[in-house]
Amino acid sequence: MAATSGFKKVFELYVSKIPWTLANKEMREYFGQFGVVKRCLLPTDKETGFHKGFCWITYSAEESLSNALHTDPHVLEGAKLQVQRNRRHQFIPESTQKNKDSDEAL
Amino acid sequence: MAALLRSARLLRFSPSGSLQIVGTKRNGPPLSRLYGGAVGGRTTGPCTRQVACGVGTAPRHVWPSASSSSGTMRCYAVSTEQREAESSLGVRSKQAQQFDWALHKLDTSVKKTGRITRTQLLRIFHDICRTGYPSGNQALLLLRSCGSLMPEMAYAERTELAHRIWDKLQELGALYDSSHYNALLKVYLQNEFKFSPTTFLAKMEAANVAPNRVTYQRLIASYCQNGDIEGASTILGFMKSKDLPITEAVFNSLLTGHAKAGDMESAVNILPVMRGAGIEPGPDTYVALLTAYADKGDMENIKKTMETVEAADSSLMDRDLMQVIFSLAMAGHHQHIPELVECMRQERGFVPDAMNMCLSLITQGQDDTAFTILKTFPTLQADDVNSDSPNVGNFFLRHLVNMEKPVEKILDYCKDLQDANLHSSPLLFTLLCALEDKKTGFSYELMKAVKEQGLPLRPHFFWPLLVQPVKDRNPAGVLEVVKSMQEFGVAADLETVSRHILPAFPNMEAARQALEEVGCSLESESFVSAEIRLLATSDLAALYTTLSDPSFPPFDFRGSLKGSLVAGFKKSDNLEDMVKITEFLYNDPRFCRENSTPAEAVSFFLYNLINSMGEQDLRAQEEKLRKYFHKLKSQNIVISFNIYRGIRNILASFNVKSLIKDVLLLVDPSDTAALSLPRVTGVESKLLNLEKDLFQLKEEGKPGGAVFKQLLMLLCSEDQLERAMELKQEYEDQLDAGAYATLINTYCRHDNVEEAINLKTEMSRKDSSVVLDASKYLALVKILAKHGRMDEAVDMLKEMKENKVMLKEQNINTLFHVFNTLGAKGDIEGIRRLQDTVFTLGLTKPTSNLCSPLVTAYLENNDTPGALEAAMDCQKRFKQMPRIHDIVVALVEKGDTDLLQKAMDFVTQERGEMTMLYDLFFAFMHTARYREARKIIETPGLRARAGRLQWYAEKCIVNLQMEPLENMVELTAKLFECDRDEMYSYILRLCKETNNFQKAEATWTKMQEENVIPRERTLLLLADILKSNGQEVPFEVPEGIEPRGASDVLRRPSASSMIRGETWYADVSTKEEVQVLTEAPSSRMAVADPAPADPTRDRAGTNHTTRMLTLCKKKKAKEAYGLLKDADQKGVAVNAAAYDILIRSLMAAGSLEEAMQVKDMAVSRVSGFQLNDNANNLLILTHCKKGQTKEGMATLKSMLQADQVPSKLAIARLVQTLAQGPEADAAAIQEVASLTKALGSTLTVSSMLFPNNTALAHIRRGDVDSAVEVLEAVYTAPESLFPSMSYVFRKVLEENHDQALDKLSAMAERLANHFACYRPNTDLFLELFEMDKIEDAKFLLARCNAVAEQKSWMLSYVTKLSKKPGQVDKVKSLFSLFPDCTEKDSQNTYMMKCYDLDNDLASAKALHEQILKEGADLDELSLKRLAGLYRRAGVAIPYTEPPESFKFYAEKLKEKAETSRE
Repeated sequence: MAATSGFKKVFELYVSKIPWTLANKEMREYFGQFGVVKRCLLPTDKETGFHKGFCWITYSAEESLSNALHTDPHVLEGAKLQVQRNRRHQFIPESTQKNKDSDEAL
Repeated sequence: MAALLRSARLLRFSPSGSLQIVGTKRNGPPLSRLYGGAVGGRTTGPCTRQVACGVGTAPRHVWPSASSSSGTMRCYAVSTEQREAESSLGVRSKQAQQFDWALHKLDTSVKKTGRITRTQLLRIFHDICRTGYPSGNQALLLLRSCGSLMPEMAYAERTELAHRIWDKLQELGALYDSSHYNALLKVYLQNEFKFSPTTFLAKMEAANVAPNRVTYQRLIASYCQNGDIEGASTILGFMKSKDLPITEAVFNSLLTGHAKAGDMESAVNILPVMRGAGIEPGPDTYVALLTAYADKGDMENIKKTMETVEAADSSLMDRDLMQVIFSLAMAGHHQHIPELVECMRQERGFVPDAMNMCLSLITQGQDDTAFTILKTFPTLQADDVNSDSPNVGNFFLRHLVNMEKPVEKILDYCKDLQDANLHSSPLLFTLLCALEDKKTGFSYELMKAVKEQGLPLRPHFFWPLLVQPVKDRNPAGVLEVVKSMQEFGVAADLETVSRHILPAFPNMEAARQALEEVGCSLESESFVSAEIRLLATSDLAALYTTLSDPSFPPFDFRGSLKGSLVAGFKKSDNLEDMVKITEFLYNDPRFCRENSTPAEAVSFFLYNLINSMGEQDLRAQEEKLRKYFHKLKSQNIVISFNIYRGIRNILASFNVKSLIKDVLLLVDPSDTAALSLPRVTGVESKLLNLEKDLFQLKEEGKPGGAVFKQLLMLLCSEDQLERAMELKQEYEDQLDAGAYATLINTYCRHDNVEEAINLKTEMSRKDSSVVLDASKYLALVKILAKHGRMDEAVDMLKEMKENKVMLKEQNINTLFHVFNTLGAKGDIEGIRRLQDTVFTLGLTKPTSNLCSPLVTAYLENNDTPGALEAAMDCQKRFKQMPRIHDIVVALVEKGDTDLLQKAMDFVTQERGEMTMLYDLFFAFMHTARYREARKIIETPGLRARAGRLQWYAEKCIVNLQMEPLENMVELTAKLFECDRDEMYSYILRLCKETNNFQKAEATWTKMQEENVIPRERTLLLLADILKSNGQEVPFEVPEGIEPRGASDVLRRPSASSMIRGETWYADVSTKEEVQVLTEAPSSRMAVADPAPADPTRDRAGTNHTTRMLTLCKKKKAKEAYGLLKDADQKGVAVNAAAYDILIRSLMAAGSLEEAMQVKDMAVSRVSGFQLNDNANNLLILTHCKKGQTKEGMATLKSMLQADQVPSKLAIARLVQTLAQGPEADAAAIQEVASLTKALGSTLTVSSMLFPNNTALAHIRRGDVDSAVEVLEAVYTAPESLFPSMSYVFRKVLEENHDQALDKLSAMAERLANHFACYRPNTDLFLELFEMDKIEDAKFLLARCNAVAEQKSWMLSYVTKLSKKPGQVDKVKSLFSLFPDCTEKDSQNTYMMKCYDLDNDLASAKALHEQILKEGADLDELSLKRLAGLYRRAGVAIPYTEPPESFKFYAEKLKEKAETSRE
């Protein structure tokens, strides 16, 4: 179950205040310096064609995440990005896991 | 011209202008002028000086604050009354809501920026038009915004917009009054619109609207703006003849008029004329004069005038100077501008004002002047690169783009801004603006500059330009952009291709061809990826073909295809393709990341698929997904248990549980073992088992370890202290820190300070490194403090610090209670010591709550100076001012002005004047000194602080004090920005608390008087109060939203009716009627309802139906029936829903025959007519009531056949009737049981319904043995949950059926002795007890004392008892029979609850005193209850009432009970 253990812990950053001039590629490149970026999600507004100014960076290792978090400030092309650990639960939240284990699944 | 910025100035002044308590400053300290009543002799009268304002309207009325409707709003509200009477109240309240929203929107904009954007205004305009019925206030709001509030729009455009709004709203039925005409005039003035005043007046006359003073003033201003003194004089003469006063504003206009006419001498002469008329020239007069000089470019006189102003000890604000600068710029005297710019002081609010002037200047083509001003903006101190980069001038650049100024000019400004270090990337920002506006050509020009400057151009820069052509499916438009991209040398990346280029084309082929033509590379990775993404969402079969081509390059499908694939699967109906692709990806290792397997990737994909679907999708596609999962199973696709769990949780959360079992199919069978559940056992048996285990371990000579600890904890939590201490002695050597902690805590709880401290010392002696947790330490501190052992308490706190014990929120709460207990005793020294220790040690931060007990202690001792001193000390040391309100109240009551002055000075100094004024206001309110309170609240410049007003209102509501609340609402009527609706809703809430409908009704009238437009929720609240008092609601209640507490109102009668047993019948019918009425349209659709062909017939039918339904609603079912018969004879068609409602109304009235007749009629008139669930349920109930069990059964059967679900109540009544009836038909009960069994989980009737009633049926037929057999089977069943058979005992006892009782009690005893099943005996005991057969009950107890141990059943009985009033003796006697049935604490809680229900303050007080004497604590919930009793009795509460809400403490108690049970 090597892969499933990865679901429980997600090493994800929430980055905001991203200037409009930067795109997915730039974010990946910049945050790649702290470790392998598994995923970079920078949502775009379908109506305007601009991104929404925030993104999620997912690392595959905890170390990369803490590397990124220990760096401050994050300045990219003159703009200071706001970087924080993502509190959003990704897959199965730990808490529901505990509670729901015993529920009537069958 | 002079008027251009005036409106903005006033607006800026009113909503966000600084607090100007002019009076306070000028007339000395506030107290000397306010404190009249109590001290006397010092009154200097209220200071009513208003803040200076130039124009005729008072500033606070220029911008009505949300929901306030003072001032001008009052004028139009009157004339729209008629209209409002016509439009329904529903529309009106909707309007009110919308008005609130719109006003709030614009208000926020004005507050923040001093302006409104065109988009904002248009959006609101369209919204208002769409809903129709624009109200007067909406019209006013829109019209007022069309002037200088929109500096970004050209004058002509603004006027045009105003006219458009005027015409459109008039067309929609808005009625205009003088306020609207005046607003239009203001807009004309601000927009320098040329119009004919006489025509304007004629128009007003034609509309039958009388002009007022404001109208004339504005007309004069208009003439003067054009230099037409003669015209102005005509109006002036007119005003004089009407005896209207000539104000400063008129003189100012005349000054401007003369100047415009070129007669500067007369203009200057206006000043002495004014003085002669007794009006001192104000700042506005000087601004008019300065503007006149500015038009001429007469710098010398400008300077002179400014000196005069200075000398007159008056000063011009930046805003005033800006008008002069604006005039200079417009008149072309640019050279003088820098000198005036120097004079500006950049006071508070400079930036938004200056921004608006810059925008106006740009709009008027004065770009360079605007730039000059912009460069004087104060810059944020950019300390280093890392702080947010400076971006002065964003608004400037944006407006340049909006106005489409030449690119070269913009580039120059950009360069200047960057060189001056005012903006870090002006060019990119300008490009952003151009792209946002989708100005394509403009954007390209800017991009060129970007490229030239060596800045990167990225593919996504073109996305905004691609959005529209893609949306329009316009390939040509897309290709244009693609071409430009190529020209700029920007290659389209994957995202650009797949999301912003390909979707514009009808298919892949067309795209390929077109892109090839413009020379776009198609072999790039991005194009290939884009292609498969597109295929995933459009053609799964083709996708499969493409992917399965062995030459297709490997890639991670989860990275680049997953999203599209999820979308494609959601859309697709082709299961074959879906399964094929899933299987393919599952088996082909090319498409997953290196360190994972394709199986994992696919199972995670399945999770993503489900996760991406909302509830609706899941329901709609349930069948498809089920088949999909089954096919996957047949293809041997396996998912992990973890993935299954994730999917299951999603499905469960959306309540699509039926799919779960299908997903489970895919789980590896070896994985499913993890699903077994742990067995739950009761406390008693747990104790027993543990003791047994421990004994065994001891016998075997093994250490008890974990078992011992578990047992000890359990004993402690069960308060079996003696046994616990025995155990402790026995296993002395195995005691660890945890065991000690548990024991210490238990002793603390039992208030045994000696034993607790002994244990603590013993523990530390054994191992000094052991640390207790915060709650245990605090428990020790608490009892030490309580027993006055302060030194030890302080030592304990110090020890906490040494051991670095962290305090959590709940611990801080405990700490507060420790302090507060001391405070209530007035132990100042004690608190001081503990507080100081806690704060100096830094155990927690000083909060207002934690500081307050000290002040409480002083107040308890009646030492107000001490209390003030303590509060001030707290403020100085910890920045907290606890209980300042109570202190100020005490001072006011004592009339100690010196000290009060000191307190107020202190508050002013620490928290500002506004806070001080509110503190004083509330103190006066609290002491019923309303006259003084009024003076305070009318202080000029004071604004509403919603939070503080709410605080006081809530206080009044909780304490049921109507008088101060009403007074506060009245006194705040003119308070700036006061939300009137909110204020009145407080009164209504209190009316609800006290059930005072007369007051509620009076409040409504008052609201109308004040022209408050009530929000919906206020109306609902009002309706609720009226309805629950049986009053008619004089307005239509807004639909759609449930009123606060209304659900309770609905629920309460039906719940209580179950107890009363009598009225259930009527209740059920009304409740369901409500339900059906709201469901009517859907049921009409469900039942075939042939539409009548004849429209007149149809209308008659509707008419009849409405009348019928109204009668039904009024419970006049018989009359409605008559109406139906009448309609039927006339051949008028009635729809199915109406029949349905009438049938149920008749049944509710007990008229079964008529109901059946209507049903027959319905069946013959409406084909396929069928009673719906509710009607059938009611029918069963009606049959039961009449004892017609056969018919009841038949109805039940027909319901089940029609797939309807009978209600629980219907089944219960039917079964009960079957058991009671003369036939006492046990077989029929069995039949119902088996019939309803098929309904399964949809119907959860009590598990004992059938056995109990079957047994009763047997008993009634004299066959007690069969009854015993039935019941015994229930209790001896292996899985029995021991349900209650109280019902049987109750019936048997009621009927004095001795034989049955004997046999049943024999059975109960047998069950108890042989099977250790105590439920029947307990039930019997409680029934005997309930019927006051105490001796019998005691006898039973003597025979079977295990009954006494059935605590949970006992407790649930007590809980039930204590819900009804008058049960206190019963509860008491039960507790005396079973002193151990629950903790003493919770016994007290129950007792207090009973006293509360019985409104028995005396007993409650006695109980509280006794508890205090015993040194125990009463929980907060009970304290709250007791406080309520005191309050209702009008007696002062002798302790501090717990501050949180009732519910809060109830939850807390529940939580506590739960944790102690664990």
